[in-house]
Amino acid sequence: MDKKPKKYDGSDDDKKDVDAGTEQKDRMPRRYQRRRNSQFVPDYIDWKDVDFLRRFTPERGKIMPRRISGVTAKDQRRVERAIKRARIMALIPFVTD
Amino acid sequence: MRLESQKEDNKLAENRVYEVMFIAAAETSDEDVAKLIETLTTLIETEGGSIVKTEDMGRRRLAYPINKKNDGYYVLFEIEGSGKEIAELERRMRVNDTIMRYLTVRVDEERKTAQKLTDKREARQSRNNERNNAKSSAAETDDTAAEETQDEE
Repeated sequence: MDKKPKKYDGSDDDKKDVDAGTEQKDRMPRRYQRRRNSQFVPDYIDWKDVDFLRRFTPERGKIMPRRISGVTAKDQRRVERAIKRARIMALIPFVTD
Repeated sequence: MRLESQKEDNKLAENRVYEVMFIAAAETSDEDVAKLIETLTTLIETEGGSIVKTEDMGRRRLAYPINKKNDGYYVLFEIEGSGKEIAELERRMRVNDTIMRYLTVRVDEERKTAQKLTDKREARQSRNNERNNAKSSAAETDDTAAEETQDEE
């Protein structure tokens, strides 16, 4: 128990860790752009509104994650449900190759 | 008051609103589709439901093939009822060979929550507007603003 806090305070080890961290950060692949602007989502999401749902299903037809679309968690759930309903009725694809 | 609201809840439980969409095979002729819609409509009405609207969306390309077919004839019903007629309608649609797929969605509750959201937003907006108006008038002339607030009270 006594050793551990000493180790953290120990300057040598600490520096090593910090250096390792920065190196890794530099090597990390660039993340794609986040778009965190609050998106407008209507109060009633119509599952038949294909044009609206397309905005949340880019090229491949996958559902856009919240971190990119920037909608609230609640709205994301509503959008998701609408997309899944539209998929069942073949209004929008499950996947496109 | 409480009793009245409870009554209303019971009434609402019986009057549910559903959206039923089905895809008929694209090869079926327009007359056959019309006949099909007609029979389903009479079925719903005899089962005690009422049709709010029928939308013939026509032939559409499917987003992915269903039963090796790429096109379908889309029809949408909006039905108000207890849910009993939905069971019968779904059973019929399952048996029918021309209907490739159907989906029933209960929409009344989602619409209600959506309406609540809109009401809330509108209330907030009007409140904000009032506040802004009060502020601006107060800035213009202190005397009249004071009078206004007194009047409101």
